[in-house]
Amino acid sequence: MPLSGERQPRFILRMASGAMSKTYTLGGNFCSMGSMTRRGLLALVMLGAAALAQSGCGDRDQPRSIKVVIAEYSRDHTRPFWQGLAEQYTRQTGVKVDLQVIDWNSIDQQVSTMIQNSQPPDVLNLNAFSSYAKDGLLYSGDEVLSPKTREDFLEAFARGGAYQGKLYGFPILASARAFFYNRDLLARAGVAAPPRTWEEFVQAAKRVQALGGGLIGYALPLGPEEAQAEWSIWMWNNGGDWKAGEAWAINSPKNVETLQFLAALANTHKVTQVNPGKTNRTDGAFQLFKDGKVGMVIGFSPLAAQLDAERKVNYGVTQMPTNVGTAVTLGVEDYLMAFKKTGNQEAVRQFLDLYYQPEQITRWITAEGFLPVTKSGRERMSGNDKLKPYLDALPSARLAPTTDPTWDKVKLDVQQTIGLAVQPGGDPKQVLDRLQKNAAESAR
Amino acid sequence: MYPAVELVRASLGRYSITGLHQGTVGLRNYARLLEQEALPAVAGNTVAWVAVVVAVTIVLSLGLAQLLNEAFPGRRLVRWALIVPWAASLIMTSKLFVWIYDYYFGLLNRVVAAAGFAPMDWLGDDRTVMGAMIAVGVFVSLPFTTYVLLAGLQTIPGEVYEAARVDGAAGWRSYRWVTLPLLQPALLVATVLNLIYVFNSFPIVWTLNDRNPGFAHDTMITFMYKIAFKSALRDVGLAAALGVVNVLLILLAVVAYLRVLRGREEPV
Repeated sequence: MPLSGERQPRFILRMASGAMSKTYTLGGNFCSMGSMTRRGLLALVMLGAAALAQSGCGDRDQPRSIKVVIAEYSRDHTRPFWQGLAEQYTRQTGVKVDLQVIDWNSIDQQVSTMIQNSQPPDVLNLNAFSSYAKDGLLYSGDEVLSPKTREDFLEAFARGGAYQGKLYGFPILASARAFFYNRDLLARAGVAAPPRTWEEFVQAAKRVQALGGGLIGYALPLGPEEAQAEWSIWMWNNGGDWKAGEAWAINSPKNVETLQFLAALANTHKVTQVNPGKTNRTDGAFQLFKDGKVGMVIGFSPLAAQLDAERKVNYGVTQMPTNVGTAVTLGVEDYLMAFKKTGNQEAVRQFLDLYYQPEQITRWITAEGFLPVTKSGRERMSGNDKLKPYLDALPSARLAPTTDPTWDKVKLDVQQTIGLAVQPGGDPKQVLDRLQKNAAESAR
Repeated sequence: MYPAVELVRASLGRYSITGLHQGTVGLRNYARLLEQEALPAVAGNTVAWVAVVVAVTIVLSLGLAQLLNEAFPGRRLVRWALIVPWAASLIMTSKLFVWIYDYYFGLLNRVVAAAGFAPMDWLGDDRTVMGAMIAVGVFVSLPFTTYVLLAGLQTIPGEVYEAARVDGAAGWRSYRWVTLPLLQPALLVATVLNLIYVFNSFPIVWTLNDRNPGFAHDTMITFMYKIAFKSALRDVGLAAALGVVNVLLILLAVVAYLRVLRGREEPV
């Protein structure tokens, strides 16, 4: 969920190769030592077995500290929560926490640099996990989560964190998109109820646009920031999908039809803002909606929080207009991952156990305004009226194919390309054909 | 030297999308670089960006420096005011300009509308993006360049001008045949530093271009970042190869510039 974009490419100075040192496991969890480096093994031989016997199996093998890297969801809540959690963890275990809260714009870069330098975090929070699992960098849920925690995850989110049948991306929080409309503008345009079908949607957008004065029917953000999210929702509501079975199906006839529909909104019906292919979500579509210039937009709970704080727009939240009968929305799941490092397994397990205490995880998710990923969390949060539209949407929410490592590249490809299809002269089919070709190649 | 060594080493490596090193590939990243479809456009953008920003900056700064070298009421104030865009962070300045250029909320379109013209999407329209970025590039390069040239002007002794006047040179002739030749060391410093600085500039292009999909308006520096982290390539090895190429290119450009200059100085 990156929020906006800019950063110095300082990575180029720090770009170091350094392969991850290969690790060798000394069978079982002997003294919870887990695995050792080749050099470690050598040192052990030199010291002799006597030293091992003397040292016993105490805390000696606990790392002195663990590195925890968290994405910044908000200035107000993210650091305070994790700081508090880290302090509590240190009090309980004696293990220090090197906490790094990193903004969404630079987290990919910084994590990549850590891995290049063979200094991965012990615990990482990100919106992707399967590439890390594929590279063999992660502990699975069996290794670092208690059975109680594993069983508490909501089924759909546990599935969304699985790579080749094993849980590697532990659900940390979720969000769901919903359809926002400006009540006053729709009323002025004579639209009695928010649109349920695509036809009604086009009519409503045309009517708002026809009010004149620079008003916009629908704000369509297909710029690089989050184009894959906007696209997913329209795609699914026309019966299309990213994949058909195991194979990518980005250029299916249904999807071509959907992208042509979006291009027509911009170029034929002219009911969007200028250059929708070059408009981002945060500083583009949301900004226009918050300013009362837009009839409809796809939003999520943080947008609602901003609208409530500004009290400028009288808005409603409802389900997506659909072309196939049942409205579908996008659910987004973010993850916690645990990196395999010599001797850190127990320390990481204790840290994750602490976060997944129902009162901890629920306190944080509530503060950030997101949705629960655990059964206990859903129970605790069900009474929250503000979250009702999103909680209601959850059963009809679908996730992007994050369990496929290829997705991590497809997502970026979509962000850099799909906007071009809705620009004047853009060719939806050609754009989708190309995305499909790249995806099929990456998957090989 | 260490970062340079690391950069070269990284450029010879094969990396997973996560940043995990998966072995060495020799020069294959360099070969792949040449296969990138976007490369010609990116190279063209880079040349336009560097050449226009540096040239316009130097010309405007020559005028500004001359102005600030004269005594006039409020000179101290103007000298201070000129420092502001220099002192402000490039990212903040760039963000400010994003809002100035914005189609719906921007100051520029209000001016345009007041003048009776149709508003433009300055940062979205392919015809105006580069110009809009260049304007900001010049704006932030002016202070430093002006001060370098101003310092140069102040090293020129007054007697030289007196002598020129006695010989009948005044106005433009005095400027062309006395000031400019004596300003050459300062001009050299200003040009070389600006070449490097503008070529390596990341925040302006990144921030003003961040709504546009694809690579149509990227320079080599922002392209490098996109290769590493923001495109389907997501390959730090390939990005490092471009990084090495970038360093060599700017070295070459500076050496070539110095050569041309030295050639001109030699007596015919």
